[in-house]
Amino acid sequence: MAFEPQHRPATPPAQGSDAAALQITGLVKEYPTGTRALQGVDLRIADGQFFGLLGPNGAGKSTLIHCTTGLATPTSGSIAVFGHDAVANYGQARAAVGLAPQDLNLDHFLTLEETLDFHGGYFGMRKKDRRERAAELLEAFSLTAKRHDRTRTLSGGMKRRLILARALMHRPRFLILDEPTAGVDVELRLELWHYVQRINAEGTTILLTTHYLEEAEQLCSRIAFINHGQIVAEGTSAELAATYEVETLEDAYLELVGRKELSRGMVSEVSS
Amino acid sequence: MTAAQIRFTSLLRRECSRFMKIKRQTVGAPLLETFLYISVFGAALGSRISTLHGYDYVVFVVPGLIMMAWAINAFSNNASSILQQKFQRAIDDQLSSPASPLELLLAFSLGGFLRGGLIATLTFGAASLLVDLPVDHPLVLVTALFLVGFFFSQLGVLIGVRAEQFDDVSFAQTFVLQPLIFLGGVFYSSSLLPQPYETLTHLNPVYYMINLVRYGFLGYTEASVALSLSLLALAVGALFAVNLRLFRTGYKLRS
Repeated sequence: MAFEPQHRPATPPAQGSDAAALQITGLVKEYPTGTRALQGVDLRIADGQFFGLLGPNGAGKSTLIHCTTGLATPTSGSIAVFGHDAVANYGQARAAVGLAPQDLNLDHFLTLEETLDFHGGYFGMRKKDRRERAAELLEAFSLTAKRHDRTRTLSGGMKRRLILARALMHRPRFLILDEPTAGVDVELRLELWHYVQRINAEGTTILLTTHYLEEAEQLCSRIAFINHGQIVAEGTSAELAATYEVETLEDAYLELVGRKELSRGMVSEVSS
Repeated sequence: MTAAQIRFTSLLRRECSRFMKIKRQTVGAPLLETFLYISVFGAALGSRISTLHGYDYVVFVVPGLIMMAWAINAFSNNASSILQQKFQRAIDDQLSSPASPLELLLAFSLGGFLRGGLIATLTFGAASLLVDLPVDHPLVLVTALFLVGFFFSQLGVLIGVRAEQFDDVSFAQTFVLQPLIFLGGVFYSSSLLPQPYETLTHLNPVYYMINLVRYGFLGYTEASVALSLSLLALAVGALFAVNLRLFRTGYKLRS
């Protein structure tokens, strides 16, 4: 990936804001079925941070992301993106966010180029800018040769790359990666790691959810554990290990989910 | 162009691009279907019926066929497009953008409206070559067709948003929409029906739509033009308000 991203703030911070990329206060999300997916989440992600959100399936990670991006409506609490309320002032808030969702949710009718072009249009980018940016991103993600193909013809890895390119199309200041490396091969995973590290170094705030703990450890400067709809611990990898009085992030995670018997240390002891 | 205008045109371009990419299915097939109706009811059956209210049978039928083409295509385009995108979750790309509920609703509505309008226009152009089709009241005709097209576009959006499977869309089209259109007097005049069928036909809202379009073309109507136009405009407004509320609340779109 030879892409050199140009970061131009799509949305300036709100006046008088403390410039947190994401500030969530008392967020509750209850689905019509009665399931309470988020139970008063408080979370702050500073501008420029690479933040990891870890938790078991059903812990509330995707719901939190959906509430932030407008795909779910919060029951109560507040969400601010660079000081812009994500519900009351959704236009400014969403303009600052790029979402690479967990699902490969590409429109099968569109070509790769159209996918990026329409996405840029939804965010108000002008035609010339859209064309140039799409060409840049297709090149960066080694998709130029496929630009006129329909998305349904792509392999899983290519779809994953296109989804990341789409999330970056409008030059978001805050990138949300919801399990971006699920099901991709080692080579692509490492490529994506290098890429997101670089754009983070250049100023983009990143929120990453993943089930790969080594990924979070490698990439994130700060990590939060979420379980049963609540943030239960937050800190650096070392701080989290210390909180749970264990050696590694993995062991801290196993403590969180109540499966410490699966710890590599315990398994080694048993086998020896 | 402002950012809002770029957003809206992009949303609309996406809708038009979808149906133009499968134009054999979305434009070709409905055109063929309409011509089959004209052939069967005009050339074959029409030769057995001399005139209806002073008009050649095929001329009497064509206005209803044009309206039917606009209505069914506007409906099915929007219902299918929204449901397909919901299935693929591709709609999340639009929903997580800064586009407002109004921009989203208008773009989804106009996609089907334009597809229906394209097919109706092509049908009108081709029918004009085959039969001598007058346009007696162009203003009423254009207003009526636009309102009918927008009404069925809105109905398609409503069904698409509510639908959870393709069967839901198919049910609405096959068991509700098509019977209402066919029994609304596309192929006949309600005055030819015995009671109680004539009265029952007058309870069908599509009957008034067909009458409006027929009046625009032929100058013949069996219902009050002013009242029909007013009620149709009210129905369009009400349906639009319902849909806007669904988009604002995110009903079956956002979780």
